[in-house]
Amino acid sequence: MDNILIKTENVTYTYEGEPALRGISLSFKHGEFAAILGHNGSGKSTFAKTLNALNIPGGGKVWVDGLDTSVEENIPKIRASVGMVFQNPDNQIVASIVEDDVAFGCENTGVDPAEIRGRVDDALEAVRMSAFKTHATHQLSGGQKQRVAIAGAIAARPKCIVLDESTAMLDPRGRAEVLEVAHRLNKEMGITIILITHHMREVIDADRVIVFTDGFVLADGTPQEVFVNTEILDEAGLGVPDTVRLCEELGLPLDALNIDDCAEQIIGAVNSGAMSVQSADEAEQPSDAVFDRYVLETTELKHLYSPDTPFETEALRGIDFKLPQGIFAGIIGHTGSGKSTFIQHLNGLLKPSSGRILLNAEDIWGGGKIMPGVRGKVGLVFQYPEYQLFEETCAKDIAFGPRNLKLSEAEIAERVTEAAKFVGLKPDLLDKSPFALSGGEKRRVAIAGVIAMRPDVLILDEPTAGLDPSGSEFILENLREYQLATGCTLVLVTHSMEEIAEYADIIYVFNDGNIEFSGAKETIFARSGRLREIGLDIPEVTQVILKLRELGLPVNPSVYTVKKAAEEIKRYVKC
Amino acid sequence: MLKNITLGQYFPGNSIIHRLDPRTKLILTLVYIVVLFMCTNPSGYVICLIVLCACIAVSQIKPKLILRGMKPLIIVIIITGLLNVFYTRGGTVLASFWVLTITVEGIRNAIFMTLRILMLVSGTFLMTYTTSPLALTDAMESLMNPLKKIKMPVHELSMMMSIALRFIPTLIEETDKIMSAQKARGADFDSGNILQKAKALLPLLIPLFISAFRRADELAVAMEARGYHGGEGRTKMKQLRYTASDAAAFVSGAAFTAAVIATRFLPV
Repeated sequence: MDNILIKTENVTYTYEGEPALRGISLSFKHGEFAAILGHNGSGKSTFAKTLNALNIPGGGKVWVDGLDTSVEENIPKIRASVGMVFQNPDNQIVASIVEDDVAFGCENTGVDPAEIRGRVDDALEAVRMSAFKTHATHQLSGGQKQRVAIAGAIAARPKCIVLDESTAMLDPRGRAEVLEVAHRLNKEMGITIILITHHMREVIDADRVIVFTDGFVLADGTPQEVFVNTEILDEAGLGVPDTVRLCEELGLPLDALNIDDCAEQIIGAVNSGAMSVQSADEAEQPSDAVFDRYVLETTELKHLYSPDTPFETEALRGIDFKLPQGIFAGIIGHTGSGKSTFIQHLNGLLKPSSGRILLNAEDIWGGGKIMPGVRGKVGLVFQYPEYQLFEETCAKDIAFGPRNLKLSEAEIAERVTEAAKFVGLKPDLLDKSPFALSGGEKRRVAIAGVIAMRPDVLILDEPTAGLDPSGSEFILENLREYQLATGCTLVLVTHSMEEIAEYADIIYVFNDGNIEFSGAKETIFARSGRLREIGLDIPEVTQVILKLRELGLPVNPSVYTVKKAAEEIKRYVKC
Repeated sequence: MLKNITLGQYFPGNSIIHRLDPRTKLILTLVYIVVLFMCTNPSGYVICLIVLCACIAVSQIKPKLILRGMKPLIIVIIITGLLNVFYTRGGTVLASFWVLTITVEGIRNAIFMTLRILMLVSGTFLMTYTTSPLALTDAMESLMNPLKKIKMPVHELSMMMSIALRFIPTLIEETDKIMSAQKARGADFDSGNILQKAKALLPLLIPLFISAFRRADELAVAMEARGYHGGEGRTKMKQLRYTASDAAAFVSGAAFTAAVIATRFLPV
């Protein structure tokens, strides 16, 4: 019993009249690394906030180190023992300078100035941010900001740190940074970590996984125990890791949570005779498709930020890009690779420093001025587009674009209905305020706002950022249907190799202001070595396949989805 | 486009002036302004000018930067000069036409007034160029501390100031982003008359306000989670401390004040 740090007993909580937590009884041990998984709105964040008395349970009790959170006098002690890091890196940093922000918590509790100095230095060292001590906080990357926030929590000497979806808004690199720090603090300093997330991959190294759905605990156990129940997880809108899915397809035990385990599982099955090696057919060589009509082209496109100043940086270094008409294309690259700058050139939001952009073979800056109507023809959906909503009703907001195109009212109304249908928005939501909708619905309204302009090319920058797996899938499936139904050209910009692998036909890989390579996705994933070198992941199943090759199974490395991988493996072995 | 706006005119450096306690710089700048207005004859102005130039030289701030900062003020300075030329009554008349009279005293006043404004502005620029906005906020909080006795929310004011400074770059970036997003939907922020332009700003301002409120809300929760409960019982990691160079600065300031006061007794 002494080993229990946090204990909750039958906790309930009501949020704006809706029950968000329906009786949660859990306990967390000292030094434990626990992950809480759940879809958007499952109550996981509401629960997290009860752990340091930001939310006081409506019913039931929470004890932190034996202190009841509903007792006012306990609160300062409880907040000192349970540090919290939130989702949005920008909205939790108080100070303009890194070290001042880390000191904030200690200053609040009245720690002696000399002592704060030491604690701040130690905390920054623990998250490997000492080199940035006197840097301005707003210039850091997302992952660095979250590490500063974690340092701020550590400086207060907590027993537990709750990471409340702290990785949701980060790119893969930032996510890896934060997770590495969390695991190290857990191992080296014995701090209890409660990691709240909807990313499957992040929880497989945890000691314990707790699955939330609709305010209940659906499952609680080691990752191996939890992920075996694929049906339950599907039901909770979470899905399971691709490695588990692959084992499921092959009829193997489901406890392979990482690449190595999965590959060994398959090889083990082969060797034990559960699967037998069949004569392999000659693997088909991937080839590049040939296209004859390009809707968008750029030649030698360069862009300089802050030209003629000491801050001059070359964001694009002469990009030659050809986008075939009527295709689902993917652009992938890590943050800073120039992809966001690039897409803003395609609809003329940014003017190239040199080079040309051709839309249907016509230079969009041909007359020195931007070609009229180009923004209607090339639709661009920015990251987190829901932050641009402003009208009283969803319908009016979707109508903003068409209205700027000076269309007739009848035409506008028709387009609004059509666009809403494409993104899967229920008609009764159209008359509601966009601000009354859920996060996923807001995002769909924003995407509909661009679709309603009926662009020839629709470009989406990270349309699934921050959404849970089922929300992401819903949006991507709708986009695929939209693309097939209208025959327009669609460009998906993303960090996620799995998304690209599933949806895109051809892929452009951006690196350091250039297109590193491009082509049909089979040809791209075959170059896994180079992809890794430039900091991009390759799909999990492709990694398994590569591991199998290493272990001596001559499978074709250019597969990228669970189904294809299973088929490929079955070509060699009999299940 | 908005990224080009420089906010907080701070130019980091390591000169003696940069390293002075911000309170010292704040107080001495105020003293300098008062002294400027005590000047009654040319030798006073000469002393002020020498001191100003010496400070600029020591600070290693390029004079060009200070001159550039004055650009927006040119019109104000010219108008003040002209008003002084034409509205000084009495004295030797140099020229007179219609209702306007130019006198020797008028020209003299105009020159002194213009000099005074130029030196005042340069002095304050020098302070803001060499002191980070955060240090200034700290200095103000520390200097206004006695006002807590009359229930002035000194800590809260300075906390608000520093949070505002922290969020300015974030909000500028956000403005840029929303502007681009609305332009992508065909919004036009540049053409039309004033009324149309104001109306065109709504799709920018509404999301910006909503996001600012959301940020404020989340920041408040984060601050609460980190144990913030107002200024009571709070400590600070960075303590302001006067050093020997601050003492030297105060002594020089006193000498400067005395010298200028002394010039008031010289014959004009």
